[in-house]
Amino acid sequence: MRLQGKTVIVTGAARGVGRACALAFSREGADLALLDVCGDIEGVPYPLGTASQLAHTAELCRREGAAVLTAQADIRDRAALRSAVDRTCERFGRVDVLLNNAGIVAPSGKPAHEVGEEEWQVMLDINLSGAWRMTSIVGPLLLAQRSGSVINVASTAGLVGYRNFAGYAASKHGLIGLTKATALDYAPLKVRVNALCPGSIRDDSRAEGRMLGEIARALDLPVSESEETFVQSQPMNALIEPEDVAGAALWLASDESVQVTGSVLTVDGGFTAR
Amino acid sequence: MSISEQDAVAALTPARRTVVPSRDRARESGREAPGAVCHALSARITGPLRAHARDELADRFAARAAELVAGGPAAGLFPGAATLWPQAVPCRSDSSDAARWRTRELDRPLVAHRDPAVRGVLLTYTDGVADLVVVAHRAALGAVALRRFADEVLDRAPAAPDAAPADALPAPDPVAQAAGLADCEFGDRPDWGLGRPHGPDVRETRTLPLPAGHPAGDPESWAAALGLVLARYEGLVRPLVPALVTDATGPRPVEGVALVPVEAGPAYTLGTVHKGVRTALAAGPAWYTEELRRALVAADGEFEAFPAVGTVAVGLGSADDPGTDTYLPFQRAPFPVTVSVTRDSAGGLLLRCDHSPRLLHPDIADRLLGHVARVHRALCESPGTPVADVALLDEAERAATAELGRPAPLPWFEPERIDVAVAAIAASRPDAVAVSFESTRLSYRELDGRADRLAHALRGLGVGDGDRVGVCLERSAELVVTLLAVLKAGATYVPMDPAYPQERLAYTTADAELAVVVTDRADFPGGEAVRVIGTAELAGLTPGTVDGPPASATGPHDPAYVIYTSGSTGRPKGVVIPHVNVLSLMAATLEDFALGSDDVWTLFHSSAFDFSVWEIWGCLLTGGRLVVVPYWVSRSPEEFHRLLVQERVSVLSQTPSAFAHLMDVERDGAEPVPVRLVVFGGEGLEARMLLPWFDRHPETGCRVVNMYGITETTVHVTAQTVTRYEALTGSRSVGHALPGWWVRVADPEGRPLPVGVAGEIYVGGAGVAAHYLNKPDLDALRFLTDPLTGERMYRSGDKGRLLPDGRLEHLGRLDNQVKLRGFRIELDEIRAVLLDDPQVGAAAVVLNRTDPDDPATAQLDAYVVTAGDGDTAGVRQRAARYLPAYMVPSTVTALDRMPLTPNGKLDARKLPRPAHAPAVEPAPVPVAAAEGPEPAAPQDEFTSTLLEVWQEVLGVAVGPDDNFFDLGGNSLLAMRVGAALRRRGAATVPMRDLYMSPTIRQLAAGRA
Repeated sequence: MRLQGKTVIVTGAARGVGRACALAFSREGADLALLDVCGDIEGVPYPLGTASQLAHTAELCRREGAAVLTAQADIRDRAALRSAVDRTCERFGRVDVLLNNAGIVAPSGKPAHEVGEEEWQVMLDINLSGAWRMTSIVGPLLLAQRSGSVINVASTAGLVGYRNFAGYAASKHGLIGLTKATALDYAPLKVRVNALCPGSIRDDSRAEGRMLGEIARALDLPVSESEETFVQSQPMNALIEPEDVAGAALWLASDESVQVTGSVLTVDGGFTAR
Repeated sequence: MSISEQDAVAALTPARRTVVPSRDRARESGREAPGAVCHALSARITGPLRAHARDELADRFAARAAELVAGGPAAGLFPGAATLWPQAVPCRSDSSDAARWRTRELDRPLVAHRDPAVRGVLLTYTDGVADLVVVAHRAALGAVALRRFADEVLDRAPAAPDAAPADALPAPDPVAQAAGLADCEFGDRPDWGLGRPHGPDVRETRTLPLPAGHPAGDPESWAAALGLVLARYEGLVRPLVPALVTDATGPRPVEGVALVPVEAGPAYTLGTVHKGVRTALAAGPAWYTEELRRALVAADGEFEAFPAVGTVAVGLGSADDPGTDTYLPFQRAPFPVTVSVTRDSAGGLLLRCDHSPRLLHPDIADRLLGHVARVHRALCESPGTPVADVALLDEAERAATAELGRPAPLPWFEPERIDVAVAAIAASRPDAVAVSFESTRLSYRELDGRADRLAHALRGLGVGDGDRVGVCLERSAELVVTLLAVLKAGATYVPMDPAYPQERLAYTTADAELAVVVTDRADFPGGEAVRVIGTAELAGLTPGTVDGPPASATGPHDPAYVIYTSGSTGRPKGVVIPHVNVLSLMAATLEDFALGSDDVWTLFHSSAFDFSVWEIWGCLLTGGRLVVVPYWVSRSPEEFHRLLVQERVSVLSQTPSAFAHLMDVERDGAEPVPVRLVVFGGEGLEARMLLPWFDRHPETGCRVVNMYGITETTVHVTAQTVTRYEALTGSRSVGHALPGWWVRVADPEGRPLPVGVAGEIYVGGAGVAAHYLNKPDLDALRFLTDPLTGERMYRSGDKGRLLPDGRLEHLGRLDNQVKLRGFRIELDEIRAVLLDDPQVGAAAVVLNRTDPDDPATAQLDAYVVTAGDGDTAGVRQRAARYLPAYMVPSTVTALDRMPLTPNGKLDARKLPRPAHAPAVEPAPVPVAAAEGPEPAAPQDEFTSTLLEVWQEVLGVAVGPDDNFFDLGGNSLLAMRVGAALRRRGAATVPMRDLYMSPTIRQLAAGRA
């Protein structure tokens, strides 16, 4: 198994890409600490993951043979994150992989100058600062171990712009910058930092993701129509499945990618190849 | 942030950037593992565990854990109190999945300053059974205390004896001390381990279940057994064995890591060794610390790094009551190679070896365990046995190892004399060309006929059966005819190189009791007892017609030749080789090398070097054509290359050093030579040098065979086909023994060593020489009778090891080891690193003393032939990246070519002074001024260039009337003069001209 004996922390693990990744990791022998906000955040105009969804992810992982810890923690709350990481260390004795997956796609749907101060703040605080916060807590553990992999889930919006998604694109571009700078910081001690850039991911019922739906809503489009638009925009003529992202995350988490750091791996059906 | 985290982050700041290892030393040394300082226990709870019982258990756990934080040796070292983690396991307690879960929990480490001092996990299975797994940091709980902790949490009667739990780590900072082990630098990978340095860096465990009657012994007995095995493996009398000792059940609880000196001198008994280890441990096992290391360095100058092979000696308890607990004395093996013994669930002893495949080949690990078990048993059951009498190998392994070194029997052939076999070929293909030399062509009929007549002439001089006849001739057709004639006369030939100094020729003549010497050297030192005769005179004595060779009673088992080899000790010694040995050599190689009448061989080497035996008789016994290489041509790679192409040579025998010169010619753009088989011999091959060769000569077109051999075993012993694979991996294998030959590796006492362990190479079988000429004392030392088989064998003085597939690795001379300020250094190792440099084509390393009487002036000097611009500083810098400081050469000097002996081996004595040494600077003033008052004659450009180049090459002041050879010049330096002239675009001097006119004035005059 590719992650035998490794401990992985996943943020935003209640559903979507986080759930798919957690499952993939547990199938490869990892033990897991699953974090999620498990509640709504003021200013984010759609329901976020719930405690029940997080428990369900944990249950699915346990069935795969993983030992699992769960923790409810807002990615903006350093103390809560710190406590979750401490518990992870107590239970598992080590951390090998940090998957910074927690993120939001809205408030969006308006040109840059119309974004409100608070809307801007919440987007950056979660999508960009959240990953930095977790890295600042887990990074020293990895450095002390002289091994580890940090995976930041960015987006194609970290590489190109999207109309009416200025805050989201800014946060994801920032996340790629964070990835590259941290990769250089940590490289001497063999800790790797990489970014994953998924394209448009299907809101599938097993993972309970709601990314596309929220994008459609932000754009005032019917979901089916926006799905069609995204399919056509991706050269491989398909939406990305959460498992596709998990496959890439698994590779970055495992020792197979031992010399890969500071890289930006797209899982976008060729969208950014144009 | 914990201390280790702060360290890690501090390591990233620019000021401390240098602490980050340039290579991944952490992984190699096992530093990543805090696991050595944690241990774990799993205890079974069989009854159904109800909810309230579980709560009580959790409460007791929390209470006991809290006490650890509040008081005890580790107070303040661990944050917070520990809780018991419940973990439902979705399987039955007796399933293999359940065992995996337990192992997983037992293996999870704790980090001091970050995690609580203990971790408890309650694994509950679907069948109601539960396991309490407790992982503890040794700084908080020692082995006894851990067991007691579990007993109290489970509220059960203590299984451990009621000893004082004074087994925790000593103050003041147990965590730091424990961490010292994880941080320590371990020594190099054991060379007998045959690991794959670039293989996967994973942990591998091999186990050996011991038979029921095997004594458990005490922890010290296992450390002693391992030490005794390592002593044999590494040729030491006092190996240092790091031991993690945790005896929780013995009468005297001890715990710690100690570096145990195992006094394993051959005169000690096993019992004494055991007692010595006990004493060493009783002095107090200390956790590894920098102070301990320094103390050891001070006490033992040779001790450098923490030894890589260690043991975990655990108190094993009774076989009758193994209990239901599983104790894991370490989570991650504390040493790069860790040998330990445990009890399995049935109470049986299990010996195990934890290592990385980078360090140990699995076969080697298995054998190591076998040897430890064997020695341990002897140590427990017959402590009175002297160390020297302990056999590592049992009968079966000894037989298997012998078999490995003896891969195939000799194919059948009719034993006959060499000359008789050649005559048979002459009869079957009389008109085929046997020998070419310059414009001369001798058919087999002519060769045979002329040799017959010469043989009669020798008989006419009084040569009889078994007499020794000196042959001191330049490489020529006449040489080959004469050697054959000596054999046909029923006599033994004793070849001498005409280039040898007179004293050496006189010594050989006297030592071999030569009655007749055939030579064209006018100043051959004759005497009363010896008839020295020229080839022309001898030819004049031949009868007009003869009917075959003279009658002779000499048989195939009588001597064919005596070749003198320079021993490392004293004077040259004659090696007596019978006819049948040479025929055996051809029988052993004929089929594999597909040798036949289509082949064209060269006679490149001096007849005094036994490589020529292979060249001459290898060719003539297989019906090939022998191209005799004139001496001048053999000294000029360009001309030799031309000859190979012109004569369409198919079988080429070379020393690697000479071959390097030939490769240079090809690299400079010459047409690839048409050879189909290259045979290397005479010196070790550094396979990497062949990469450019394979680029031009794919293995499908030309086979390259590296042969290890010794004059005393008839030229060759083993054969290794070298391909790009061997070249890329830098293989040191010289291959399997030839059919009919066998090899063995033995320790200084002659006992066979296990596979992988380096020792002295012994050679037996069809090639073993009859004896040394008139040296019975030396015979007794070198030609021995194998006590195992009664066969004769030769003790080579070469160092080697047998690989698991039966191939032999040649590791240089046993005496090629040097010591520099207490450090043991293999010069070949440094050389190998230099050769790894893509810029370096050839390399040599020597230990020099600038002041012979002052050991402090000793230094390592390296010489390299570089492909690029001769950036020796870069070569040195690169070497410094791979070698410990004491092994980095003090100087690196660029050469155009390596100086070779007449036999084509590296001639260390002819190496110039190291580049940086204040050697004779090229004289800045007109050279003739140094010659005396005579005013310098006006010099033409040719003369001044030559003066400059000679000075540069010879490193001394040169005048126009100085004889090149008197100034220390030789054929190789002459080659370098040629190379230097070419580099300057100046006119070159033909080699032959230089020999004829060895002063610059003469050379200049010759041009006028």
